[in-house]
Amino acid sequence: MSNDGVVNQKRRRFLTGMTCAVGAVGVGGAAIPFVGSWFPSARAKTAGAPVKIDIGKIEPGAMMIEEWRGQPVYIVRRPAQALESLENLRDTVKDPESEDSDQPEYVDPVTRAIKAEFLIMLGLCTHLGCAPKYRPEVGAADLGGEAWLGGFFCPCHGSKFDLAGRVYKDVPAPTNLKIPPHNYESDTVVVIGIDPEATS
Amino acid sequence: MKLIVAWLGALWGWIDARLPVQRAWDTHMAKYYAPKNFNFWYFFGVLSLLVLVNQFVTGIWLTMNYEPSAERAFASVEYIMRDVDFGWILRYMHSTGASAFFLVVYLHMFRGLLYGSYKAPRELVWLFGMAIFLALMAEGFFGYVLPWGQMSYWGAQVIISLFGAIPVIGEGIVEWVRGDYLISGITLNRFFALHVVAVPIVLLGLVVLHLLALHEVGSNNPDGVEIKKDKDENGIPLDGIPFHPYYTVHDLVPVAVFLFVFCFIIFFMPEMGGYFIEYANFEEANRLKTPEHIAPVWYFTPFYSMLRAVTFEIGPLTAKFMGFLAMAAAIAILFVLPWLDKSKEKSFRYKGRITGIMLLLFAASFVILGVLGVKAPTDDRTLLAQITMVMYFAFFITMPVWSVKKGGVSILRYLLTGIFAIGFFGLGMPKEGVELSIVVRICSIVLGLFFLVLPWLVERNISKPEPDRITMDGGMGFWRSLSVLFIVLALIILPLKAAGSEANHDCGAISCDAFEADATDQESLQNGAKIFVNYCMGCHAAAYSRWERVADDLDIPHGMMMDNLVFSGQKIGGLMEISMSERSGKDWFGAPPPDLTLVTRARSGKWVYTYLRNFYADESRPIGVNNKVFKDVGMPHALLDLQGLPGCTDGPTLATNGGIKVDPLTSEPLNDDPCGNYELLTKGELSPVEYDEAVYDLVNFLSYLANPVVEESRQTGVYVLLFLAFLLIWVVLLNREYWKDIH
Repeated sequence: MSNDGVVNQKRRRFLTGMTCAVGAVGVGGAAIPFVGSWFPSARAKTAGAPVKIDIGKIEPGAMMIEEWRGQPVYIVRRPAQALESLENLRDTVKDPESEDSDQPEYVDPVTRAIKAEFLIMLGLCTHLGCAPKYRPEVGAADLGGEAWLGGFFCPCHGSKFDLAGRVYKDVPAPTNLKIPPHNYESDTVVVIGIDPEATS
Repeated sequence: MKLIVAWLGALWGWIDARLPVQRAWDTHMAKYYAPKNFNFWYFFGVLSLLVLVNQFVTGIWLTMNYEPSAERAFASVEYIMRDVDFGWILRYMHSTGASAFFLVVYLHMFRGLLYGSYKAPRELVWLFGMAIFLALMAEGFFGYVLPWGQMSYWGAQVIISLFGAIPVIGEGIVEWVRGDYLISGITLNRFFALHVVAVPIVLLGLVVLHLLALHEVGSNNPDGVEIKKDKDENGIPLDGIPFHPYYTVHDLVPVAVFLFVFCFIIFFMPEMGGYFIEYANFEEANRLKTPEHIAPVWYFTPFYSMLRAVTFEIGPLTAKFMGFLAMAAAIAILFVLPWLDKSKEKSFRYKGRITGIMLLLFAASFVILGVLGVKAPTDDRTLLAQITMVMYFAFFITMPVWSVKKGGVSILRYLLTGIFAIGFFGLGMPKEGVELSIVVRICSIVLGLFFLVLPWLVERNISKPEPDRITMDGGMGFWRSLSVLFIVLALIILPLKAAGSEANHDCGAISCDAFEADATDQESLQNGAKIFVNYCMGCHAAAYSRWERVADDLDIPHGMMMDNLVFSGQKIGGLMEISMSERSGKDWFGAPPPDLTLVTRARSGKWVYTYLRNFYADESRPIGVNNKVFKDVGMPHALLDLQGLPGCTDGPTLATNGGIKVDPLTSEPLNDDPCGNYELLTKGELSPVEYDEAVYDLVNFLSYLANPVVEESRQTGVYVLLFLAFLLIWVVLLNREYWKDIH
């Protein structure tokens, strides 16, 4: 403290800056385990592992609900007329080619399936996460009568989706229902949770 | 840019007008004037604050995955160690932090003792500090129960049973604390609440009070001279410097050094040889089986020693109750320290030679008590514990006599020291029927003589006069510090050595064979995994580990793992469980076969290795075999097919010192142990050499299984240490730049 006059401010500033910089790197490094420990643990990953489902026994037009990562997976065996209806709804749905929606690239953008017969998608509304109801009956009075060609209806906030999970115009849900990664192990056995490339 | 600066300035002004931010900063940092002669001993305050922060943050993170129930607690800790990303680092940071906390706090307290930092006007600083110490002990105790290992359980059992020593109401209190008729999940739950919520809040409040009280009266220093006596025209102490920046940069040096040591322990030796995490705690709590050797963690051992050292009874007071009292008194007496010290000076530098000797004896006694507390009691050790305990109390109780430079000769002074002299003489006397170490007894007699003449010595005390201003070189200097350290170590080690010596075969009836795990030998680990699944997992699970982790760590493809090792019906990501239930295990073997995930951490690798190589035929046992390492074990020789059945033949007898007994005339081994050697009664699939290799692989795999991160930990550790060394360079340079002109 005796000779403040000769303090080399530049040197002090440089050393302070360097120490702070190195210290900041250290704090960043120390944060790694704290941040990292929040990612899914081995237990969560096991619980969320891919699930193998036999879809051969689903009747045409019926839906089965399976669970993957604790989320409902809807599997619908779509009859031919249901697939035909998809083209007719091109102007009714918001994103007919699924350009803004979440789906693997190996899935057809219109039928939204690897095999058109089976629709496999997450049964969680893209609005606020309710599970939409499966309403296959054509012309249901409460869903717009003749204009309704079958699809899904979310009871929470009234969003409508067609039989490919494509969202209707003028409903709260922003995008089509999500398609999970999936892969056909055989004609009737599908594995939800992995991409086709991953197995080859 | 200018606009942003102006805007930030305005925001700062707005806040500061409403909250005393600047004032607080000035009071506690920028205009808090600390003596400029702080030395090494003054590092431990800031370090304890650092560890406190570490404990809070890692503790919060641990609660995110810990489950406080008797069923899940142990498994959830292993879940954190294995399944949670980086969980093992968080857990080791917390467990190492607990020990580090006590280490720095003990040194911090001893600093106060050396330089009289408890004396007026700093009594409240000391009292708050002592309250922190007390809260810390409670926190440490509650926390140690949470992992629900064997030591957690039996440690809690012992400490809670202590309250049973209180006459009349004791048993009621014990039941009330437990909330059950035994230590159970109910006890665990309340300890969890206390450990993570109640005590931390109290601790935090006390730390704030400790610091506020300190900053009100100002820091003491190694000379014990009040710097507020001499101020310049601005009212700034002449011997003070602003805490910020001078001590902030100064403290960064010990912080960096501390972190280096701390991280070294975390990454390279997290159990610290069983002192920071006791080996028995890798075994889940079992209320029907006490561990062979039970000792508290090291930071409680000085007080635990006192508890055990009380073996005498006075009238209706039982030894149990007196031990409890001694332990409580040892802590309570620290609270009245400010009023026991009658000296005018604060620092031991100017209190005279007697104070120096007393401090040495006290420090040595405290450490000896600590060391004895982790060891099993013997007659000699109990005697040594009694002597050091009396010394501990003598230090405080006779302080009014020797802390003054000249007290005059009065009967009262001789009476006070005389009581302790008699006590030391009594302990040093030979006892009938017990042979006690002569060195330890002489220590006691010497202490007795010292206390007998203490008041007389005080009159002839040699001391230096206290200076008016602080000194920058008033310390002992390097070589004198080193020699004092040497004297302290000698005072600690000599009596301990004299009271040492115990026969020790670390593997049951024999010494352990050499075993060194090699986590990098994939081939050995894979072979070990195969043997483990085929020969051990019929009865033993490894249910804290997952198949997938083993496959990935051992470079076994998932498909191959599923086909060859994983039991049918199990998933690759699943835990390594078995189909045999605990109940049928108990029916078949008398006790359910234990889970083996952690066996080499609870027992050590060489124990398991030796155990598997020392089965032998024994007709008297229901299963036809016995084991030298684990006498009368219920487990059959699972590797019989591989090894064949060894039978006993005559061989050398083991001596208690670890060697073998030899004929005193010919120095030939005495082959008079009927089971000193083995001979194969039936042949196995493997030759003896191949069998040893197979057992090595198996135990090597078990070592990996017990601690799968050991390699990852070492590799990470190297980078962390290199980084900290780099940080240290900058911190040292920065500190030197700021301090080069301070004299």
